Amino acid sequence: MARELTLVDAGLGNLASVERALIQVGSATQITDDPDKVATSRIVVFPGQGAFGKHTDQLVSGAMGEALRMVIQRGDPFLGICLGMQLLFDGSEEGGGHRGLGVLSGKCRRFPDDMTAAEGERVRKLKIPHMGWNEVQPSGEHYYFVHSYYVDADKSDDVMWSTTYGDVTFAAAVRRENIFGCQFHPEKSQQSGLRFLRAFLLGSRQ
Amino acid sequence: MLKRRIIPCLDVKNGRVVKGVHFKGLRDAGDPVEAARAYDQQGADEICLLDITATTEGRENFVDVVRSVAPQIFCPLTVGGGIRREDDVRRLLNAGADKVAINSAAVTSPLLIKRLAARYGSQAIVVAVDVKRMPALPRDEEPIYEVVIHGGTRSTGLDAMRWCEQVAELGAGEILLTSMDKDGTHDGYDLWITREIARRVPVPIIASGGVGSLEHLRQGLALGEGEADAALAASIFHFGLFTIAQAKQYLHDHGIPVRPPEHRRAG
Repeated sequence: MARELTLVDAGLGNLASVERALIQVGSATQITDDPDKVATSRIVVFPGQGAFGKHTDQLVSGAMGEALRMVIQRGDPFLGICLGMQLLFDGSEEGGGHRGLGVLSGKCRRFPDDMTAAEGERVRKLKIPHMGWNEVQPSGEHYYFVHSYYVDADKSDDVMWSTTYGDVTFAAAVRRENIFGCQFHPEKSQQSGLRFLRAFLLGSRQ
Repeated sequence: MLKRRIIPCLDVKNGRVVKGVHFKGLRDAGDPVEAARAYDQQGADEICLLDITATTEGRENFVDVVRSVAPQIFCPLTVGGGIRREDDVRRLLNAGADKVAINSAAVTSPLLIKRLAARYGSQAIVVAVDVKRMPALPRDEEPIYEVVIHGGTRSTGLDAMRWCEQVAELGAGEILLTSMDKDGTHDGYDLWITREIARRVPVPIIASGGVGSLEHLRQGLALGEGEADAALAASIFHFGLFTIAQAKQYLHDHGIPVRPPEHRRAG
């Protein structure tokens, strides 16, 4: 029987589509906003949409932050999605600077304005946020992204997959031991996204 | 490289798809769930549902439609039509939409855009802008486009370019730009206004109105032509003229960066 997975409701956006995708790949899922339940979970998925700010400060310094660190430090499988991945790092420039959980080292930075990209013989001005389908390296598979800040990881070993937007190559997915993170939305990335979630679940059972 | 998006759009009236979807394998062409699921499986980059119901009860149906469609698809879902108040947006997002498109209400109460962007994030707020080309004056160097509302029946006096710049400043995450002159004609997007707005406005532009062929999609997205970030189309996909995969292949062959069609793997 599959071990039950805990989907963390930290008030960082709607969890319904992540839950639906996890069910689709065969995971028994409980949603909770209770730090005690999170702290004793054996597989944790931590999704988030939106921005660093007062709300994430409270999360990082409060009981939920403590619970998330406990799971990670114990070595149980952990996946942060989008803002949930960014929060694994030291902090962000966003909104004047805010701290993350600091379990991976690196910082979130804003894409520079006025980036361009060559397309055939023409040059195209790039927009922020980076929104839509982009490919990750080394696989070349496409995933759906929506973000204005990207993770600049200090250790290249932590970066599992990378993606390029304009002049910036950033961490599309990270991994260190039991800790996983993805900047893209696997729940919005059709078959590629479901395969990613399935691989996380399979890995977590070994 | 970030890819241009292909977005099939389903018009929904009283809970049913109108201009029925005719491609193979659907048991019920009027069922929005079946149609959306089929587009998702074909590899649509995003799916749009537009409520064209005029009545209040119909709107309730639409929230139910969104609630039934959202769990069945694994790509972004944009919904629009008849959104007047913040509460309409809340209900549609809670029902599982990723983005809501606001049209007339953005004109009648522009600050709604700002409140919604602050509350839900710009990425969830699309402003739909319907435009009409004004009759050219003799000495005009550039055509003038005006924003129209209520399905093109009411003029607003707003200049399309200025309005798009303003809605982006207010926090719109994307603009869904429809040419009312071209809508339903099948003779292609209005490339001039699409390109001008795509160049000047710092948020992504979705081109809409007029697609009758794959070449029209290419024109809407190509640099030097429409320059849009995404192409929305309805009838060319509904009537089974082309699949999403055929559209992607055509665009790829003509130099437009698109996500390749999905190869469904076992497991």
